[in-house]
Amino acid sequence: MVTRTLKRLAYTVFGATGVGLALTALFLLSRTAQNSEDFDRLHILILLINVAGVLVLFALLIGNLARLWRDYRNHVPGAKLKARMVGMSVSLAVVPLLVVFYFSMQFINRGIDTWFNVEVEKGLDDALALSRAALEMQMRDHLRTTVKIADRLREVSGRQLFFELSMLRRESGANEITVFGRNRRILATSSDLAANTMPQAPRDEVILQISQNRPFVSLDPLERGSYQIRTAVAFGDSSRPESVGVIQAQFPVTERIGRMANNVDSSYSEYKRLLYLREPLKRTFTLTLTVVLMLSLLTSIYGAFVLSRRLVAPIQNLVAGTQAVAKGDFDTRLPTPSRDEIGFLVSSFNDMTEKLSEAQRQASLSQALVEAERTNLEVILARLSTGVVALESDMKIRTANQASGAILNVDLENRVGENLIDAAKGHPLLQQFVDVAQVHLHSGETEWREQIVLRGEVGRRVLTCACTTLPGDKDHAAGFVVVFDDITALLQAQRDAAWGEVARRLAHEIKNPLTPIQLSAERLRRKYINTMPEEEVQVLDRATHTIVQQVEAMKEMVNAFSDYARAPDIDINLFSLDKLAHEVVDLYRAQESGIEIILNTDPTLTHIEADIGRLRQILHNLIRNSIEALENIDRKGRIEVRISKIEVQEIEVAEIVVEDNGTGFKTGSVSQVFDPYVTTKPKGTGLGLAIVKKLVEEHGGTIEAENLDEGGAVIRIQLPVNEPAREAMMAMLPGRGDKRRERA
Amino acid sequence: MASTSHVSRGLTNKKMTGRPKSSLLILLILMPVWAQDSPERAGYFEVRSAATTLVDGVHVLEGRLQLVLSGEALNALNSGVALRIELNLEVIRTRRFWTDPAEAELVVSYELEYRPLSQRYIVRNLNSGDQDSFATLYSALNTLGRVQGLPVVDDAILEPDKIYRIRLRARLSTEQYPAPLRILFFWRDQWQLQSEWFEWLLER
Repeated sequence: MVTRTLKRLAYTVFGATGVGLALTALFLLSRTAQNSEDFDRLHILILLINVAGVLVLFALLIGNLARLWRDYRNHVPGAKLKARMVGMSVSLAVVPLLVVFYFSMQFINRGIDTWFNVEVEKGLDDALALSRAALEMQMRDHLRTTVKIADRLREVSGRQLFFELSMLRRESGANEITVFGRNRRILATSSDLAANTMPQAPRDEVILQISQNRPFVSLDPLERGSYQIRTAVAFGDSSRPESVGVIQAQFPVTERIGRMANNVDSSYSEYKRLLYLREPLKRTFTLTLTVVLMLSLLTSIYGAFVLSRRLVAPIQNLVAGTQAVAKGDFDTRLPTPSRDEIGFLVSSFNDMTEKLSEAQRQASLSQALVEAERTNLEVILARLSTGVVALESDMKIRTANQASGAILNVDLENRVGENLIDAAKGHPLLQQFVDVAQVHLHSGETEWREQIVLRGEVGRRVLTCACTTLPGDKDHAAGFVVVFDDITALLQAQRDAAWGEVARRLAHEIKNPLTPIQLSAERLRRKYINTMPEEEVQVLDRATHTIVQQVEAMKEMVNAFSDYARAPDIDINLFSLDKLAHEVVDLYRAQESGIEIILNTDPTLTHIEADIGRLRQILHNLIRNSIEALENIDRKGRIEVRISKIEVQEIEVAEIVVEDNGTGFKTGSVSQVFDPYVTTKPKGTGLGLAIVKKLVEEHGGTIEAENLDEGGAVIRIQLPVNEPAREAMMAMLPGRGDKRRERA
Repeated sequence: MASTSHVSRGLTNKKMTGRPKSSLLILLILMPVWAQDSPERAGYFEVRSAATTLVDGVHVLEGRLQLVLSGEALNALNSGVALRIELNLEVIRTRRFWTDPAEAELVVSYELEYRPLSQRYIVRNLNSGDQDSFATLYSALNTLGRVQGLPVVDDAILEPDKIYRIRLRARLSTEQYPAPLRILFFWRDQWQLQSEWFEWLLER
């Protein structure tokens, strides 16, 4: 900022100096044009000031032009406007200046030319020639006179020479006559000039001409504008050159003629001088005018730069401010330059940015609130055990919570933005879910509710699903929200609870009258068996025996119900499954000699963490179930028990398979074999497999049943071998994930 | 030849190597070029010999100068412009450890003029007012170049035990001309006629 201010100050000082120098130079030029003496004195100074002024202005202009060009190329805001303004100003300044310059030059040239005239020149030439002719006539006369004097003096010598010379001088009207001998020695002289004036010795030119036997005559200009005629002739014996002297005479030109001749001479010289000065004058005036033009031009161009800069500066500020606003900086405030229209514009801009700033602040607050609400919603959604998936109208996933991924066994949270249909590929649960949803959506049904059964690798899942549209435009929905709950466990629990209640009540209601019935039957037999005739005794005995037997059977059934309803705490211990299986199988091998019971165990599976009592019950129930299924068949019964260790989705599980070649399940009841009171056997209570399923699920395992194509049935149980495996299986089981999370 | 002439040429060359884009500098460059439009003879002034003799306590100068006018000066002379030729004399005290000061300075100015009526060249001593006329320029310049018995400095005003040098030069003065001519002459080499300083020790 300080640097910028200093730079601006330096520019201002520099500019002011240039303009000041230019103005000073112009002023001095105008002064010197009026008074040449001043000019003589200030000639170099003015020249230097002119040059310095022009250089300063020129340097400023170069700097300004370079900056303008740079700004123009870099597309600096306002550069084009500035260039246009400078161009216009320069055009406005240059054209009139050039016009004035042209006309001034014309005036100068023509004005100077009018000083000269051919006729005047001719007249002056004639006057000079006339004057010269008049004077030459006198010169010839005086030369003749001098020759005569020389002739008369030729015979005279000694003292007589001086007297004769004086007489002849007076007669001839000469000012001075001197006779020079050899080596310019004065032999005699006569003069009417001052007594102390020495006669002037003949010059070289005189001697030269005399030596060439030519008389000498010249018109000598004197001080004060007068003339004299100087003549010289040889004196002595011309046959002996060494004895030749010189007679030199000076004749006055009459004052009137001399004055007139001098006037002609001066006028002629002055005219010639002016002629000579004509071109220098023109050039000097041209030069002066050019310098003035350059100074004016450069000053006006520089002024155009300064003015355009001042005019454009607020606009540049405005553009910079607008760009700042465009970039989101609403705190920009521009300095108000003046109270004109631009000032009004700038203050309007400031008002606008202030309002925008306030609006942005409000928007930020609102956004922060929305963000907070959104965060809360996300937290709530994340904590929900209900799956929530929001979809765009084109089935793109907008949001999905963690529960949705857990229920559908797909990480939907990380697939936001993908199409749900694409995301479903390779994920059977999600695929079934999408299929159901698409059926509704394709039929134009945007708000629906349905219970969906999904079949997965580890059993089936029952979801209650509800879909609703998201608010959007008038005609188009912004998308859908599908909310679904895994109610598999809930349904199972409800079913278990219901059956438990039924069993408990049955046990309670049936068991109570059974004992009195049994006791009454036994009492009847005991009381009347000895009193009744033999044939009746048999009837009584058979009847009471039947009653007691059936009551026992009913007691067994009731106890079974009671066992189903009662669920003692599970007791997990590490034991050998192999050993347990052998015990149970051996028991049945002893009892059922007509049935082949095969046991295959896995040497890698030695121990398992489970409730040994429940597991024994499971094996008993399964083998008994198979044995019952083998009754009333015409081929030899065979039961195969296979125990192996396998991995299901990287979880170690023990698989117990019990396969028989009996009657198998009724085709329609395979899916319901584990429900209570579902049985195909005449003696079954319908609780055996239901209890097995309950026990298996208590261990976190899975159970499934199916008929074999070659006859018979197979029941497959998968049990976790240890606690970590149980945890993992529980998480995979339908409706158990939530519980796991809650425990975590 | 003449030192001023060299300086002027140097200045011109320096300006010609300036920024060619500048219209101002073009003007500055063109001005001398525009001024030099008569490729006539250059002319020169030279001091051939000079010496002083002590005559009656006054150091008197005897010297010979070669004065050759340039074509332009000759043209101006024949156009009625009087030329002023100056003889500059300086008596300088020689000092060992300091700059040498000029103890006395003498300028003898002559005016050379052509009179068309008499067709004679007038040589006027502006210091004394004496004038003489000559039929030819050669005679006039020859007379001008012959300096005889010009008293320079009284020996009495000089310190007896000091060493003095005298130097002489002749130059064509243009300071007396009107403004248009001065501006013109400022740029023209043919008007920068000036001899080198001719220097000798003052014998006492």
